[in-house]
Amino acid sequence: MRETWRLFTYLWRAERRSQHGLVGLALFAIATTYAAYQVVRGRPDPTTWNALAWVMLLFTAFNGVSRTLEEDRPEVLAYLKTVVNPVHYLMARTLHNSAVLAGLACLLTALMGLLMGWGTLDGPRLWGFLAGMALTALALGATLTLIALIAARAGAGFGMTAVLGLPLVLPVVLVSTSLGSDLMQGVLVADTWHNFAFLGALAAGSGTLGVVLFPYLWRA
Amino acid sequence: MSVLQSPSSPSPGVRLIRAFGVLLLGYVLVMTFTVPLGPGIVDVRVSPGDDQERQTTFALEIEGHNTHFSESIPLVFLKRGEHFVVIRDLEVVDDRHLAGRVTLDKFLPALSWDVFVNSPVDGTMSFANGFFAQGLTASTKTKSPDNDEVLDRLSQADLGFHFPFQPNIMETIRNLMLHVPMWFTMFLLMGISFAQSIRSLGTSGTAEHDMKAMASVKTGMWFGVLGLLTGSLWAKFTWGAWWVDDPQLNGAFVTVMVYAGYLVLRSSVQDEALRTRLSAVYNLFGFCLLVVLLMVLPRFTESLHPGKGGNPAFSSYDLDSALRAVFYPAVLGWMILGTWMYAKTLRLERMRATLAESRLQRATKAGLPFFLLTTSTWSDPLVNDGKMGVVVGVAVIIGVGLGLWSLVHSRQARDLNQEIERHS
Repeated sequence: MRETWRLFTYLWRAERRSQHGLVGLALFAIATTYAAYQVVRGRPDPTTWNALAWVMLLFTAFNGVSRTLEEDRPEVLAYLKTVVNPVHYLMARTLHNSAVLAGLACLLTALMGLLMGWGTLDGPRLWGFLAGMALTALALGATLTLIALIAARAGAGFGMTAVLGLPLVLPVVLVSTSLGSDLMQGVLVADTWHNFAFLGALAAGSGTLGVVLFPYLWRA
Repeated sequence: MSVLQSPSSPSPGVRLIRAFGVLLLGYVLVMTFTVPLGPGIVDVRVSPGDDQERQTTFALEIEGHNTHFSESIPLVFLKRGEHFVVIRDLEVVDDRHLAGRVTLDKFLPALSWDVFVNSPVDGTMSFANGFFAQGLTASTKTKSPDNDEVLDRLSQADLGFHFPFQPNIMETIRNLMLHVPMWFTMFLLMGISFAQSIRSLGTSGTAEHDMKAMASVKTGMWFGVLGLLTGSLWAKFTWGAWWVDDPQLNGAFVTVMVYAGYLVLRSSVQDEALRTRLSAVYNLFGFCLLVVLLMVLPRFTESLHPGKGGNPAFSSYDLDSALRAVFYPAVLGWMILGTWMYAKTLRLERMRATLAESRLQRATKAGLPFFLLTTSTWSDPLVNDGKMGVVVGVAVIIGVGLGLWSLVHSRQARDLNQEIERHS
């Protein structure tokens, strides 16, 4: 656990050192939201709002996980392999990706609220929506981290992550969009708890699968 | 080179199983197209007739499928709950058409009625909510006097061995033997691939396991694509669209996408050991998520497919003994054919690997079939005669698909053999 945390903070330091990474992602999110705003012009109906929010989160997520840090150079990885347990490395990486994605999700929701309003979301439902987005970020992080590492090992970049990952994140997308449309239609947060449970289970399931399978990727 | 010098001929047991599979498929194809469909009502048309002060006369036209109206005049009645109205003024046009008139009082127990036709030849057939008494008034106080008469005159029929008639589905129920086993076979092949991927990651894993995993995915993809195409044609003429938003369809589409991704991933890695490991990890990860997507999530959402999300399953009462007698052999037969195709593909993969060893690999790739149909008038022959054309269409798609597979397969085998001869 302590090693996971140390690796996590190490990844954050690496992230901070190359500021353009995070700033670039934020700019991507802002530009996407603004482009969507230009297309819909004004306040979209709840269904459109919901679809836009999740599609933008999905594409931001793919951008987020498939970028390479300064620390992904082969020499650094070769060193890490000698000192780090693969499971801890994957967990740190997943936590890091999920945290970045959760931050981006909050940024996206805030921007959408500023430009296009929050539709019918208000009070507890808005917080529920944000919590759903954070949980989705965790589930996407758990699934896509492993996929991005596979794509990186294959020597391919963003395209390969998308080809391998898009079909696999569909369960997450199905559950989170139904959560979003429930909240948009005025369902109480307590009455759509099963969607939260599904998201949690998907995150836990993909995380466990990753932990089981990742050591085979880590081997030279 | 040992593999090539002794082309592994199947053992007698395997040959027996394959012969059994071919026999099963022959039985299934014959049964699928020859077992008669039970009689049923295709359509009921009601036109409001003379409007008198206290009574209204309606004219009914009833269209049947596989019915024998002219052999004995059937009993036609309307039913709602415990209320019956017998239609007495009846004329038999031909075996498939009835015309009738019924005069109803202004006050009725109900306005919407199920239409029933009963005869000693065809048994009892119904058409739900086929009659709507437009312009009349529903009143719970009134009673219909025909209850006893209907119950006395109902007759039973012995229809013999037949597939059950279902409204809208009609003859296309035969697709159960063609479309559904595609998915069973695909899942068997993907399961083989899953098992081989696990073994290839183990300490005793070899390139052979990896090759088996890939060969079964390649074969399974054919069945997946054929399942999508046949399902699409069936959906068009029962649900009204080539593609509908349905969890089962999403799952099927994503499955095909995941394994397409698997093949793309394989083709992008040159190093053999790395390719084995990467593709095995992706295969295991993908298969587990697919189980969630196909087995777990659809149970919580509504679906058009039988047996999912509250829809009645084929297994409960729709799948009667006649369907079972053909469906189970069909699943087994298609599965045996699938594993046979897998064995043949595996042989090609071994040849290809041998060629790659001598650095003479030539890229040969199997193209996947696709089709595009957009006009609307072409569809008439598919819909007429109880949608029998859809069954023929599904069979043709599968036939063309399997034909294409064997064409691609034999061409690849020929090319590889020539290549090997040239360099040995």
